[in-house]
Amino acid sequence: MKRGLLGLVIAALALLPPLGEPYVLHVAIVVLIHVVYAQALYVIMRMGYLSFGHAGYIALGGYTSALLATKLGISPWIGFLAGGILAALFAWALGTVTLKLRGIYFSLSVFAFAEVVSAVFRAFEVFGGPAGIAAVPRPALFGTRLNTHLQFYYVVLVVSLVSLFFLYRLQWTRFGFTLLALRTSATEALAESLGINAARHKTFAFVVSCFFCGVMGAVHVHYLRFVSPFVFTFFLSTDLMVYVMVGGLGSYWGPMLGTVLLTGLGEQLFAAGYYKSLVYAVVLLVVILAVPGGLISLPRIFRRGAREHAVPEAAEATAARER
Amino acid sequence: MLIALGLTLIYGILHIVNFAHGEIYMLGAMGVFYAHVILKLPIAVTLVAILVLSLLLGLVVERAFFRSLRGRWLQLVVASVGLSLIIQSLAWVAFGIQEKHVPSFFTGIVSFGGVRLPVERLVAAAVGAVLVALLYLLVYRTKVGLAMRAIEEDEETARMLGINADGVAALACAIGFALAALAGAFVAPIYSLNPGMGLEVILMSFLIIIVGGLGSISGTVLAGLLIGVLQSVGGVLVGAEAAYGLVFVVMIVVLIFRPAGLLGKA
Repeated sequence: MKRGLLGLVIAALALLPPLGEPYVLHVAIVVLIHVVYAQALYVIMRMGYLSFGHAGYIALGGYTSALLATKLGISPWIGFLAGGILAALFAWALGTVTLKLRGIYFSLSVFAFAEVVSAVFRAFEVFGGPAGIAAVPRPALFGTRLNTHLQFYYVVLVVSLVSLFFLYRLQWTRFGFTLLALRTSATEALAESLGINAARHKTFAFVVSCFFCGVMGAVHVHYLRFVSPFVFTFFLSTDLMVYVMVGGLGSYWGPMLGTVLLTGLGEQLFAAGYYKSLVYAVVLLVVILAVPGGLISLPRIFRRGAREHAVPEAAEATAARER
Repeated sequence: MLIALGLTLIYGILHIVNFAHGEIYMLGAMGVFYAHVILKLPIAVTLVAILVLSLLLGLVVERAFFRSLRGRWLQLVVASVGLSLIIQSLAWVAFGIQEKHVPSFFTGIVSFGGVRLPVERLVAAAVGAVLVALLYLLVYRTKVGLAMRAIEEDEETARMLGINADGVAALACAIGFALAALAGAFVAPIYSLNPGMGLEVILMSFLIIIVGGLGSISGTVLAGLLIGVLQSVGGVLVGAEAAYGLVFVVMIVVLIFRPAGLLGKA
């Protein structure tokens, strides 16, 4: 049934858009892009690491592709890949140094890295300075530039579905299970005693996460046709973290749920301004304090609540036996 | 550097990296603007009011958020980010986007053998030094400080020995907040103020506490001086924004060779 539902959603995503207004398509594109960002962030949050700087890697991907297209006239299709690869390289360099240490060093270093990236983009004219890079071209397919929302929607849909499928499969590989084992320092020590190189696994997870952020960042920039140091800021990094935490860390679908709810509804309700991050932050605190498992854990909590209500005697009997 | 010290204190005792710290600094500076410039309160009254309010805010935040999330560091850090976003977005709404300026508390210029320095910067530096000394005395020479260090070392044992861990943690949080707010108040006349100023400062503070070693007070002081010098020299040589890059490279080098920071414990 689950598989059927998924097929239905994908079919709807592929077939319905021609009926949609440009604005609806715009919202759909933004949501899809952010779903991939959040899902990529989830790869490392799932192993208990927190990043406040994913926007830095997204910006790296976006700038790479934008510079290649505007300065050298290289096709954005190659740019998408180049953006991902460059982001992955930088992630590898930082990860190698910091992922051997406790999580907090990593979080703070990534945060600092993102701010430094933005400062460097602002400082040098090669990168467009504070004004950024304008007139970034859309990619072309069979000789036509994909200038309409509808055409670009399909680019985003394909790239995001491929990324999401890969990230989903990654969880169920040996590598994915190992990452889960690294979540706490106790289980990490256990894994290392079994001969697993924890630091290398974590670094590779970070590289994968940043690769998809870089690719999607490049797609994002070609969608906006513009990039500046103020597009991908600290607030994007925190928004992504809010999506993941609100949706829930317990399941692959949690971050997706959080992103769709908060971007889809949030963009509509609070078109602009500081109210958006205010509402996000309040929702975040409420969820963390009241439902630590995130929204995705709600059905499970209700189900468990119902069952415990139904058979209290049985539960008590079990408890008595265990004592 | 005062901010970094407050951060290091809170990290050391509570094991929290408090992202809301920069916002408290911003509120301190804004407090000076509204109380001293708009309401024309004397500067001493303003400073005492800021001190008291920030201590109270620290207690409230510890009680409302940090205590119930103790031991779950992921949730804790995320909660502090949420808090920071709330304060900052409210500040944009309340204070507006216009930059604010505070006239100097002290005017005049002193010259030491040809080097001319404005008095207000000297006062800010002196106050900073005094606060650092006071903090050092508190942590290393008083009973409360001993309790703080005991909790840092091993919270469970400290609790068994009858130390009121919750109370000490609340106190550390309050002191950390007060340090940030006072730092904000003293730099108010030096910089122009806007609600985003906290974010710039928190970046520098994070770099400082990583280089100095998380939770180490003397390491923080050393790294603060080092990075301050590096940033001003680098700023002259390659420009202020690129100097960030330079500081970052230093951080990476420190992490490679001394992963726990200059004076941190591994």
